[in-house]
Amino acid sequence: MSESLANRRARRRIAILLARVGVSLAVSVGVAIRSSAQTSPPRDLTQFTLEDLMNVQVISVSKKEQKLAKTGAAIFVITQEDIRRSGATNIPDLLRMVPGVDVARVDHSTWAVSIRGFNDIYANKVLVLIDGRSVYHPVFSGVIWYAQEMPLENIERIEVIRGPGGTVWGANAMNGVINIITKSAKDTPGGLIVAGGGSDSQAEGLVQYGGKIGQTGDYRVYGRYANLGKSDPATFAPPADSKRTQEGGFRSDWNLTPRDLLTVQGEVRLVDGGETTTGVIFQVPPITATFGQPLGDDDGNLLARWTHRYLNGSDISLQAYYDQSHVFANGAHNWATIGNIDFQHHLRIASRNDVVWGLSYRAGANRFSGNSLVTLHPLERTDSLYGAFVQDEISLAQTLSLTLGSKFEHNDYTGFEIEPSAQLVWEPNARHTLWASAAKAIRQPSNIDSGLQTISAVQPLGQGLYGLVTVSGNPNTKVEQLRDYETGYRAQISRRLSLDVTGFLSFYKNLQTTEPQAPFFNPAGGYLVIPLVFDNKAHAVSYGAEAFANWNVTDRWKIGPGLSMLNMSVTRDATSQDSTIEQTPGRAPRRSYQVRSFINLGRNFEWDQTLGYTGPLATGNVPGYVRLDTRFGWRWGESCDFSVTGQNLLAPRHAEFPDIHFVDHMQDQRSVFGKITWRF
Amino acid sequence: MARMLSLFLLLGAALQLSAQAPAFDEYQVKAAFLYNFAKFVQWPPGTFASPTDPIGICIVGQNPFGSSLENMVQGKMVGDRTFVVRRFPDTQQASQCQILFIGASEWKRTRALLDAVKTPGVLTVGESDDFTDQGGIISFRLDGPRVRIKVDLQTAEHAKLRISSKLLSLAEIAKRQP
Repeated sequence: MSESLANRRARRRIAILLARVGVSLAVSVGVAIRSSAQTSPPRDLTQFTLEDLMNVQVISVSKKEQKLAKTGAAIFVITQEDIRRSGATNIPDLLRMVPGVDVARVDHSTWAVSIRGFNDIYANKVLVLIDGRSVYHPVFSGVIWYAQEMPLENIERIEVIRGPGGTVWGANAMNGVINIITKSAKDTPGGLIVAGGGSDSQAEGLVQYGGKIGQTGDYRVYGRYANLGKSDPATFAPPADSKRTQEGGFRSDWNLTPRDLLTVQGEVRLVDGGETTTGVIFQVPPITATFGQPLGDDDGNLLARWTHRYLNGSDISLQAYYDQSHVFANGAHNWATIGNIDFQHHLRIASRNDVVWGLSYRAGANRFSGNSLVTLHPLERTDSLYGAFVQDEISLAQTLSLTLGSKFEHNDYTGFEIEPSAQLVWEPNARHTLWASAAKAIRQPSNIDSGLQTISAVQPLGQGLYGLVTVSGNPNTKVEQLRDYETGYRAQISRRLSLDVTGFLSFYKNLQTTEPQAPFFNPAGGYLVIPLVFDNKAHAVSYGAEAFANWNVTDRWKIGPGLSMLNMSVTRDATSQDSTIEQTPGRAPRRSYQVRSFINLGRNFEWDQTLGYTGPLATGNVPGYVRLDTRFGWRWGESCDFSVTGQNLLAPRHAEFPDIHFVDHMQDQRSVFGKITWRF
Repeated sequence: MARMLSLFLLLGAALQLSAQAPAFDEYQVKAAFLYNFAKFVQWPPGTFASPTDPIGICIVGQNPFGSSLENMVQGKMVGDRTFVVRRFPDTQQASQCQILFIGASEWKRTRALLDAVKTPGVLTVGESDDFTDQGGIISFRLDGPRVRIKVDLQTAEHAKLRISSKLLSLAEIAKRQP
């Protein structure tokens, strides 16, 4: 009796809920129909006076989107509005919105970021550039994300290209390129003060000023402080992953003549933090323990770029930068000095060929000082990388263009490497673009690949005997290779809706494996050494798709859905004995979905959300998670902005990545952050 | 979950109701400007063979207007002249054009296109940031949601075009460096 009553009640509740949803839907649709009826046909613009025309508000596809529509590669641009309204306080969080990019927070200071799989805190298949300066660390072959701090307010845009992305980019653009471009000094005049604070001891302060230099120059100077406390002790013990950043920098842009542009920029940064690590602390007998360790980075760089435009429309650019960094983690230190010079020439040949070619040279000097767990052979090393590229965009017809190009590189490990690529772009009309590409790309070997020496684990073997697992680099390391085939479709479906879809098929060869060698007994220590050596004995096939859309639902509400799908299988070669390489696909989710919503609530209020699902990671049994971030923004007067952002609101905490490379993962927590921005 | 969904939908409805006056398509507004330029620009004598020859508006390269430009000027007259809209792949036949529009999609070859305009009396209009630096006369710019125009007086003079002060008073004047 009571059962059917409960059932009836439940059914009634569901019916009421459905009715509510139905009514809202009907009202929405009804209003949408009515207001669209109101907007067409438009009033006759020819009746407008010039003054009227100057006051009309337009909806437009940005010019940058028009330029990008012609690109024969999978590209996503993170705009200033995307940055501001995401509520993100660091670059990896910003990258979450890009389909195809895997972002996992390992702890408060460490991130694993990659494109189309192979995720790792030293993910080595993605090139990251800041204003043309590579931040891919040549020693660790990866990006040290805790060192990449900068005022997000100064970012003009971030271009993310998934896939080898064409020939123009530098070394190691294998699975993609993340190109962070800062604003010209001309675009940041006046004073800017930002102050923010939030849960987990988050604090941020930025003071910046920009002005003119003489008649033709502009500059800006800034100082920034940011702090983030440790993870919640309830999530792991003992958390040590706090992080403190102090940095300062400048940028200056000069129009030396109407045809010459010179940019000089530089910055200095100190990052102090920590991480929880599990490693071997004694060698006789070897035991494993978990403890907090400091990590940090001091770095500085200076960059100059000169662009000259000729009367005939061609242009050249010359860029040089100097980068010095000191990175330390768990008692190991690395000092790196890099000097890089790049030259590029862009010209038209005949009426159908748009050619870009260039030369580059990089010199790196490196010094490493290890701890009891890791060392590098040799401890000091200098490397040179020579590069050249050429690319020709050929207009086959008014609507069809073929781009052929190749990169040529010479490195100190494997010598000469060639990376050709081709792209075909068809634009049947201004609203649709269809493209296809094929490319070969390689990953330049690094100091780690050839000279690493580390103790990775302790295995008790019974009867008081221990096995110490060591990993060593291979001086005969080969380059990892990729052959990549992609196709995509971009459409401006209506004034309010645009769509971008990409599909890819990638074949990897010579992927790095760790091969067991014959174990031997170390009588001095009383343990068995189980050596593993790097080799390149695996291959992989990966295929998938990414799609995103921009929909201006109303004049005040914009939504941006996106999805990525990745299917990867890694197979070891016949001669390989690596028992874990085939689990590599488990380090990235197979499916991710996201929807972003920007709402202008009128009277200077903004309400923005991001709702996303990231699939599970098979490696490390990290379950999939749903994440909701929301932000309220309020502009007060002409110069003051307030915002409050809540992140990860749906669950108190969740894990995003397993333990890796001695770093114990923390769980990402629900958090809140408030920010005041004042421009004067 | 359903409650959140219905909340979103209600919000969507509320936003529609409170939406501001309808905005226009960017290219409809630019087309209206092109039509207006004909009213505020004087072409040099000899441009037209007869007093009733139509004013030629030419679009070079990709056409971002769709049909809105033709629809807008159909049946309209400035003085005794009607309009005719032409499309060309390049500027070889610029002599047939009184107003010549080069869209942003042609950014890679804009300079080459402008250099190939040899005859005077052609009002070149474009959209790229440096259109006037590259030799164009009027360029469109978006300032937030509004369309703005920039005029290069020296190039206009060189092309023997007289631009009414009414139009100039609403435009930004390009500064030319020697």
